[in-house]
Amino acid sequence: MSAAVDYLRGPWHIAVFTWREGIRKKTLVGFLLLSLFVIFGSFFMSSFLNQTTGSGQIETEIDTKLIKDICVATISIFGMLITIFISASVVPNEVENKVIYTVLSKPVRRMQYLLGKFVGIQMIVLANLMLMTLLFLIAIYIRQGEFPKLLLWSALLTYFEFLVVSAFTFAISCSASSAVLPTIGGLFIYLTGNLTEYLKDVSNRSEGTELADVTIGRIADGLYYILPNLQKFSIKTEILGLSSGAPLPPEVAEQIPNLIAYGLAYAVSGYVIAYWIFRRKEL
Amino acid sequence: MSVVIETKGLSKIYESSFRGQDVHALTDLDLTIKPGEIFAYLGPNGSGKTTTIKMLLGLIFPTKGSIEILGLKDIASAKVRKNIGYLPEGAYYPDFLRGEEILRFYGQLYGLGGKKLETRISEVLEEVGMTHARKRLLRGYSKGMRQRIGLAQALISDPQILILDEPTTGLDPIARKEMRDILARLRDQGKTLMISSHELLEVELISDRVGILYQGKLQKLGTIDELLTDRDLSIEVESASEEVLSTLSEKGITAEDRAGGKLTLRVASTLNSYDALTLCKEHQLNLISVAPRRETLEELFVRTVGEAQDRSKA
Repeated sequence: MSAAVDYLRGPWHIAVFTWREGIRKKTLVGFLLLSLFVIFGSFFMSSFLNQTTGSGQIETEIDTKLIKDICVATISIFGMLITIFISASVVPNEVENKVIYTVLSKPVRRMQYLLGKFVGIQMIVLANLMLMTLLFLIAIYIRQGEFPKLLLWSALLTYFEFLVVSAFTFAISCSASSAVLPTIGGLFIYLTGNLTEYLKDVSNRSEGTELADVTIGRIADGLYYILPNLQKFSIKTEILGLSSGAPLPPEVAEQIPNLIAYGLAYAVSGYVIAYWIFRRKEL
Repeated sequence: MSVVIETKGLSKIYESSFRGQDVHALTDLDLTIKPGEIFAYLGPNGSGKTTTIKMLLGLIFPTKGSIEILGLKDIASAKVRKNIGYLPEGAYYPDFLRGEEILRFYGQLYGLGGKKLETRISEVLEEVGMTHARKRLLRGYSKGMRQRIGLAQALISDPQILILDEPTTGLDPIARKEMRDILARLRDQGKTLMISSHELLEVELISDRVGILYQGKLQKLGTIDELLTDRDLSIEVESASEEVLSTLSEKGITAEDRAGGKLTLRVASTLNSYDALTLCKEHQLNLISVAPRRETLEELFVRTVGEAQDRSKA
């Protein structure tokens, strides 16, 4: 137990250091402020519509839906951009400014270093998501007059979606010398992760005997099984569609632990790939 | 322990991609560094100094050869790492942190904590003369102060070995002198210092042994006294015509420096002092001073690199 605590102490200090440095990054702060502005703006926009269309029950529901739609889109887009940006840049930046030399020359193994960096990134991603979600909750609370608990489930699933993309972007960043390639890689993972059902379609349709058809089909099939299927996390928008006081439907409640396990499995895979790349990387 | 760092046949080849030429960054380096000495590791840019240091720290991996530090082959072991402090060249330290915070972070990586760490932070800040700035943000530090805080992070675990990459580069003369004094004090405390530097005058003043590297090969290795054996004569005269200088040059006396109406002549070691002075008298030169002179490290460095270049051309 003591050995495990000793082993994790170094990564923890690195994680805190990464967090403290990360939250000061201008690009990240810019994305965050912009997203908070949009979330806050959605509330005002709905207030404006309310004044122009009346204040009946239907209008209130429309307003709430408007706030939800804008906020969900904002959290998804800006949250994902922040996730990709921070996951892509932490390790390459440390190599570039040589901080990594001073850290790895201490009694810190590469596995510990990566663990610290990865945890630090997750702390940043979580803090940003929590801040955006909090504002979203406040906006809905003011509009509906009750605390929308179901939003928390949606936010939790959003985090695990970010975690999957973050882990793979982080793995790519461990092989890169700058943040450009991992950023592109992260966007690719995000986009293809949302298109994996189409890959299955491509695989099913390419049943011809021509070599090109077979090859395309097999590639699509391979990618379908390798790439994370981020569409699985789309139940978070279904949850948002439920009325605030309603309980979580059993079929949705059943999926949540599976999705968390799914996200964790991909995150561990991403971390293992990152370590495999980084363990013999020449710095 | 008679040796703290030992490399045998240490080589590093950077394999090129797309069928380019491999780069032999270091070739068969046999090096020993003894306890309590300041070892200066010299060489022009790209000669393999940083490659060697990175291999000693486990940041890159040797193509062949072996490294032993403190008698251990596992250079990534905690025992070795706890006894090495490293100051990289031009490292960045996050400027939102205060001097003591950055040291706390690095101290924690060594497993230090609590009162022991706070005491050690105070000690190293005192050691590098930064106690007054411990609570100041790094963004308010001058280059010299940043270099000192870098040295402090290397010292935080009280290591036996210090590896310093260009510790005085970019510092003003006063900061350079202060850094030199700190390094000499550390040597006096029994620490072993390996310094990679281009500041040859600084190195000559404080180092015990020197290794000169060129194109990945160790060209010279020895103590300052062993290496700087060439001694000659320096003669200061009032002035001399070009014709006289040309004649003297043929006989081994060359004009070295002309400043403030004085001319310094350098007498080759092949010519004895009496003959040199007789030649000056024959040409009616007004002597100001005559002094014995030892070859400087800079001259040895230039000569060594020049010879190595000639050999590689041949």
